[in-house]
Amino acid sequence: MTAAAQLTEAILRPAPSRTGPAVAQRIRDRLAGNVPDLVAPLPPGEQIVVSVPILRQLASGGDNPTIRPDDPFAWKPAFVRRSLGLAAIDACLAGYFRAPLEAVGPVAEWAVAEWERSGWRTFHWEPWYAGLGTGGRGAVLAEASNWATGVWASLDWGQFRTAPRLGGPDDQWVCPGPRTVRLKGRSEIRIDLPSPEPSDSGSGSSLRSGSGSGSGSTTQQVLVAVAGGSPPSGLDVQLGYLALVAALRTPTRPAPVRVVGLWPQAGEARTVEVTDELLARAGDTALDAVRAVVRTRGGSPMDGAGLGVGGGADALGTTDRLGTGDPASGSAAIEALAAA
Amino acid sequence: MALLETDDRRWKHRQPITFPGYSVRHGGGADRPNRASSNESDADGQVPPSLLQWTPLAGTALLDRIRITGRPRPAADPNRVEALRRIIDDGIESCLTPVAVSGADRRRLVVTHAALSRALDRRSGRSDGSIAGRRELTVPIACGALVGVLFRQLLTTGSFGDPWVDGLGALAVDDRQQELVAWIHRLPAGERDGLAAEVRRQAAGLARRWPDLDAAWLPRTDEPIRTVLSDGAVELSARVDLAIGRPGLDVASVALVAITSGSRRPAHRDDLHFSALVETLRRPAPPFAVATYYSRTGELDVDPVSDELLIAAAERTAAGISAMVRQEEP
Repeated sequence: MTAAAQLTEAILRPAPSRTGPAVAQRIRDRLAGNVPDLVAPLPPGEQIVVSVPILRQLASGGDNPTIRPDDPFAWKPAFVRRSLGLAAIDACLAGYFRAPLEAVGPVAEWAVAEWERSGWRTFHWEPWYAGLGTGGRGAVLAEASNWATGVWASLDWGQFRTAPRLGGPDDQWVCPGPRTVRLKGRSEIRIDLPSPEPSDSGSGSSLRSGSGSGSGSTTQQVLVAVAGGSPPSGLDVQLGYLALVAALRTPTRPAPVRVVGLWPQAGEARTVEVTDELLARAGDTALDAVRAVVRTRGGSPMDGAGLGVGGGADALGTTDRLGTGDPASGSAAIEALAAA
Repeated sequence: MALLETDDRRWKHRQPITFPGYSVRHGGGADRPNRASSNESDADGQVPPSLLQWTPLAGTALLDRIRITGRPRPAADPNRVEALRRIIDDGIESCLTPVAVSGADRRRLVVTHAALSRALDRRSGRSDGSIAGRRELTVPIACGALVGVLFRQLLTTGSFGDPWVDGLGALAVDDRQQELVAWIHRLPAGERDGLAAEVRRQAAGLARRWPDLDAAWLPRTDEPIRTVLSDGAVELSARVDLAIGRPGLDVASVALVAITSGSRRPAHRDDLHFSALVETLRRPAPPFAVATYYSRTGELDVDPVSDELLIAAAERTAAGISAMVRQEEP
């Protein structure tokens, strides 16, 4: 069995445990209760965004971590590769191309043509890409093809009984208050686990398979997050953070049962099963991140929250900052390609 | 043993090209008119008199030279990986402090082939003792960077326009190359024209000799590869110009290719063997071959990957890491 087949089988394994909505509610209450105090030193209207790259800086920052401000944004191939790469994989899954190398060019051309026709930017990068010469475009396509090929080769896509959902908007949860704190989580692939066999209908009768079951569904979901570099030790909390934000975002839906981190450059994958304890640790780490950001901005966060650092969590960064695109972007691209 | 293509004309007409698990597609697509689909010296199917003199391989013959090593492809073997890791771990154990092996990300020693070579050269007295060394920009470095991005563009899109314009355009969107691009633009006109001419000449050779690569072979260009050792204290990191073949199979299915715009040097093989080692440690199976393609001449060196090659690379890596750590000690 290939490594990709083994990993996919592990992703689709029946989940041994689930967390209930009550856990996410407790964490939500805890965050909502503590965050306003932590950010009180900041001027009103100030915003904080907590994301996995922030948690990564937090984990590597020692006892008194600070968070670097973002560099001024400028497009580059690394910021395009995720959205273009996922759309290319989507087109491959739909059967229009055999591999991402074939798909990236037509998908990019379609996106630019759509933008030129309608003014609508599916991926945000269309105007920048359209302004490049053939050399710059080639560099963008090569970067996206590489990224997508790494993901494409990591999984055995034929094992999925329902189509995985690729990309889409980030999971977000906003803690209410005069100073907005936004928790963001980005997963590249969302997979609904197959429903149990009919013989399991006693305890598992509430499980249903199929994508698009939406809010209120009890379908078990697995998140797959792709990162560059190699997996350092202690990344459980960062993977758990993705599950936490997904759970906070949709209270009516159970938290994802499993999160898989994928590091194609290192040929590695790590899986964490989502438990109540992991979600709680992820919540603690999010509060630590808020505290570090406040300290970096010159504030002195009040320590009422009294929460510890979340266990040496580590890297799961992504560089595609605006590449989330429209959730329907992949399918729209595929429809257009089919029409062509 | 490195085999020059002059030794391997016997592969010239072998068909078909197959990487494990893939369907076969030969030659270039209709959208790639400027690409070779066969050896440039045998377009009419006859062996021309020019073969009596050496000519660079092209088209399917070039790919066959990489693909057919004459040796069985290594199978995936966890014991091999374990043994290689042990060679490195044992070799560097004495020089890593407890802090360094704590596994904390910020303490991780990132080891590249360039850093290894520098450290080993310093140890043997072949260099000036500078530690990291800021990259000195030269015309050969600029040529290498431009040819590298053009090779990537060619394999991804199948063509380029004016190689000089395209190459600079590709470098311009890479924020790591801004200094180089500015340096190229500041070159005196004569030097810049000479560089442009050489880039165009090498690019023409690439387009003439490199065939389309079947997308189903999953070609990856300028691919970063890495693996972590010693409980997270050390990361081996390399970048290969071309990796081709589906990774993660039970039998070696990947070939690694480096593109070099300069002259042949022994260090190129060391670099490539380091890449083979990293690939072996990050995947179930090692690559079956590593190759260096010299875009200046069209020469191609291919090394079949063997356990002996990997062990030698692991020992060199351990020696290099030890040298790096000791040289950085106050």
